[in-house]
Amino acid sequence: MSADILSFIIFLPAVVAFGLMITTKHVETVRNIAFLTTTVILALVLKLYIEFEPSAGMQFVTNVPWISSYGINYYIGVDGFSLTILMMIAILIPTAYLLLWEGRTKGYWINMLLVQAGVTGSLLALDVILFYFFWEVMLLPVFLMIGIYGFGDKVFTTIKVTVYTMLGSLLMFVAMLYLGVTYHAEFGTWSFQYDSLTQITSLSYNEKIWLFLAFLSAFAIKIPIFPLHTWIMETYKNAPTGAVFLLSSIMAKLGVYAIVRFLIPIFPEIYVEFSSWFVFIGLFGLIYFGIAALMQDDIKRMFAYSSASHLSFIAAGIFSLNVFGINGALYLIIAHAIATGALFLLVGIIHDETGYKTIKDLGGLAKQSPIFTTIFAIMLFANVGLPGTNGFVSELLIIFGIYEFNHTLGYISALTVIIGASYMLWMFQRAILQDREGEALKFRDLKIKEIVGLAPWVILVFLMGIYPDIFIDKFEPTVTHYLNDILQIGAAK
Amino acid sequence: MNELIHILPVSLILISAVGLMFMSMYENKFSTKQYITVSSVVLIVALVFTFIPLGELYAVRPYNNIFNDVLIFDSFSNFFNILLILGTLLTLLIGENYFRSNKYFKGEFFSILLFALFGMMLLANANELVTAFIALEIASFAVYVMVGYDSQDSKRVEAIFKYLVLGSFIGAFYLLGVVLVYGATATTNLTEIATYISTHSNSELTLVYIGLTLILFTFLFKISAFPFQQWVLDVYRGAPMIITAYMASTFKIAIFSFFLRAVLQDIEPLIDFWDSIIYIIIILTLVFGTWLAITQKIVKRMLAASSIVHTGYLLLAFIALGQNIDAAYATVFYLIAYLLSALGSFGIISHIISETKVRVTYDDFKGLAKERPYLAAMMTIFLFSLAGIPSTIGFIGKFYVFTEAINAGYILLAVLAIVATFVSVYYYFKLIAMMYFYPTKEECLDNDFNDKRVSTYAIAFLAIITVVGGIGSAIVFFIPALNIDTLINMTQIAIQSLFIKS
Repeated sequence: MSADILSFIIFLPAVVAFGLMITTKHVETVRNIAFLTTTVILALVLKLYIEFEPSAGMQFVTNVPWISSYGINYYIGVDGFSLTILMMIAILIPTAYLLLWEGRTKGYWINMLLVQAGVTGSLLALDVILFYFFWEVMLLPVFLMIGIYGFGDKVFTTIKVTVYTMLGSLLMFVAMLYLGVTYHAEFGTWSFQYDSLTQITSLSYNEKIWLFLAFLSAFAIKIPIFPLHTWIMETYKNAPTGAVFLLSSIMAKLGVYAIVRFLIPIFPEIYVEFSSWFVFIGLFGLIYFGIAALMQDDIKRMFAYSSASHLSFIAAGIFSLNVFGINGALYLIIAHAIATGALFLLVGIIHDETGYKTIKDLGGLAKQSPIFTTIFAIMLFANVGLPGTNGFVSELLIIFGIYEFNHTLGYISALTVIIGASYMLWMFQRAILQDREGEALKFRDLKIKEIVGLAPWVILVFLMGIYPDIFIDKFEPTVTHYLNDILQIGAAK
Repeated sequence: MNELIHILPVSLILISAVGLMFMSMYENKFSTKQYITVSSVVLIVALVFTFIPLGELYAVRPYNNIFNDVLIFDSFSNFFNILLILGTLLTLLIGENYFRSNKYFKGEFFSILLFALFGMMLLANANELVTAFIALEIASFAVYVMVGYDSQDSKRVEAIFKYLVLGSFIGAFYLLGVVLVYGATATTNLTEIATYISTHSNSELTLVYIGLTLILFTFLFKISAFPFQQWVLDVYRGAPMIITAYMASTFKIAIFSFFLRAVLQDIEPLIDFWDSIIYIIIILTLVFGTWLAITQKIVKRMLAASSIVHTGYLLLAFIALGQNIDAAYATVFYLIAYLLSALGSFGIISHIISETKVRVTYDDFKGLAKERPYLAAMMTIFLFSLAGIPSTIGFIGKFYVFTEAINAGYILLAVLAIVATFVSVYYYFKLIAMMYFYPTKEECLDNDFNDKRVSTYAIAFLAIITVVGGIGSAIVFFIPALNIDTLINMTQIAIQSLFIKS
């Protein structure tokens, strides 16, 4: 049973989604069953988390032939890296359901379930073709969600997102096929498993660079890394809250995850050689998106830029080639998912209730809704990295990592944190605290079920901020394995 | 007696075609429904007979002294016969609604359909150039008639005229090619031509080269590759919807069945000679087809234009044959994938058109998802498959083709094909966007539709196969029967039977 638990986690949402699609028309039934499914998954992931032994290897592996004539296997497993992210997804999604509770249609919930299946699948897949399969599958429901439930020029937005992500995906697809064919030429058998692909030795330097870039393009678009970010503006503005939440707090993280899972093991020397470029691009993105966020009036767009800014920071950490940076990046993946996810959902509530999206239209929310404001503030502080929150731990680790990588860049990264703090606090002051002149804004406070939904996030923010070791211990061995065995750089700890 | 089994399906189709022709003399006695039932039963019986030797490797030349080796029955032809019968059967079932709501489909139509199938099956079994020509013409003429089936419609008259004239013209090229080959080798039998080629040096083969190139032109015309793609849009647009589906999928398979045999079994060395020609043809086919597909406003024309792009992918696998034989499996698999998705997508559209008659352009498909969610969902599956999105059989098909192309060293072509795939996402997804993201147009609203019909179930069956063929054992790995590998194994056995010397 324990070997099949992963498959169960992946396919349960999909099976439930298809079942709901053809059986019932009742929105509330669909929502309740969907929510129940996510809690079942949460329970399973918790069981997995407890049973997981902190070590470098893959656990709970299932490897059965899928298309055996081409050596494509249904090969899934979990290690410290994916487990942490899996845990995050399992906690975030049910709480998101609680915050999106009212007034959604059947298709909305079904699409949410399908996204969860796709995301979990691509997180656990260890065969590149299987990974590609899930990677594409998770995009399609989001495509439908934006197109059907979005606002403004939603069709244009949908097409733009699809075109961008498909372009990246197809480049990655070519690279995967090329690797598979190279493996075939070298070893005489077909295989698309990532651990077989790491054994390829016959690639020339130029080939490796091209393949590396092809893979990276898919991941960088998803994250998004500067300059492949231009799709996020319209998308975050026009997409429905659920889709924005999924894109920013979950799918973007999979881009980062995929860099670690596939790029580092398959192209270690290219990764090391170009790391300084990517740290630089990451820091540039951090500053660029930060400044852009400062200038936004639309609150969702501001969060879009802020999210991109933090994601660039994560990317910089991933490429910093030492245990601090990578640990910090992984930690920030979680912290950012929690904080940004919550903020997007809270802004979604503001938008649903008041219809306002621009910062200058808002104000005075603090008086009418103290609980809302408190939680909003906690997430905001976590996002800007206030000591005591998980944001602080992760940013500190990344800054250490970058400092060790290059002192000057380390100083720069430390200073840039202030940009994040300034736009966030400025927005908070204008949109939530300050009293608006004229008619009072009608706004309700959070309901009990929304508070229940957000409670685990608040707890996690502080727990991860105050006592990070219980989490870091789970993935530390994996990170050192990456550095010592794959990159052959002595771990700094 | 054993030999009878092999020729039974083909002869059954021929006899039933003639039988239906006689039946159609008593027009008023039988309804369209009865014709459909009779033809379906015949097809299912034929299918059962073809399924008996499925999965075994064999090659027989029955009644050698009567047929003089012009026909060969092997796993290869059997495999293609299954596809052809299945394609025809599905066309018939999907078109049920369309045939019944358009009164001009009289009894003889079903007889012609079976004649077309007979011609195509004969083509798959042909082992000789002239027999192949006759088979090709039987099938083509039946298709010509079906294209122009409603003489009241001026578009249809234009379509049949264009297709008939061009088709006959290109047929002349084929005959000229055969003559030249015969002039050089003194035989039209494929096996003997192969022996001739392998025993003579390159300088003695000029005439054969020219002859075979002329035959290649016919092939390119029939599968609508560049520069012979001009007729496709008008003919596909003019033909009854369901016939368009038939031409795009089943007829294309029949053409490939013969030319794959010819290339693989006998004239393989010649593919090097064609290499650079086909290389350029693929590039132009992909580019031109893509450009045509983007610029269309009418959905049917878009699907027709995109079928040119799919021809490009097929040729990509075809050219890779010169380097490795595995590419043959890719070609066959892609044909199956395209058969399913094309029949499905054209089928749904014909199903919808037969009731409302107003859905023609992209705009007319607005809001279909709200009106008829299941049809829209199935259409989405087929469009995903055509675009090669994972979890559909179209993805697996593309995966094979691209892998084999890269494996054969055609990396640039593979990249170009992937770019074409990328662009195809645009024109396929545009239709999905229309169905899902807009409110319904008023003039297209129609609440009287009845989706509990044979056609809907046939389409649903196709949709399920399209998904299962893409996911296969990944989701149901405890059910061994639903395995993509089984399908690949069958294509491999089929191809290998070409190399049995009997």
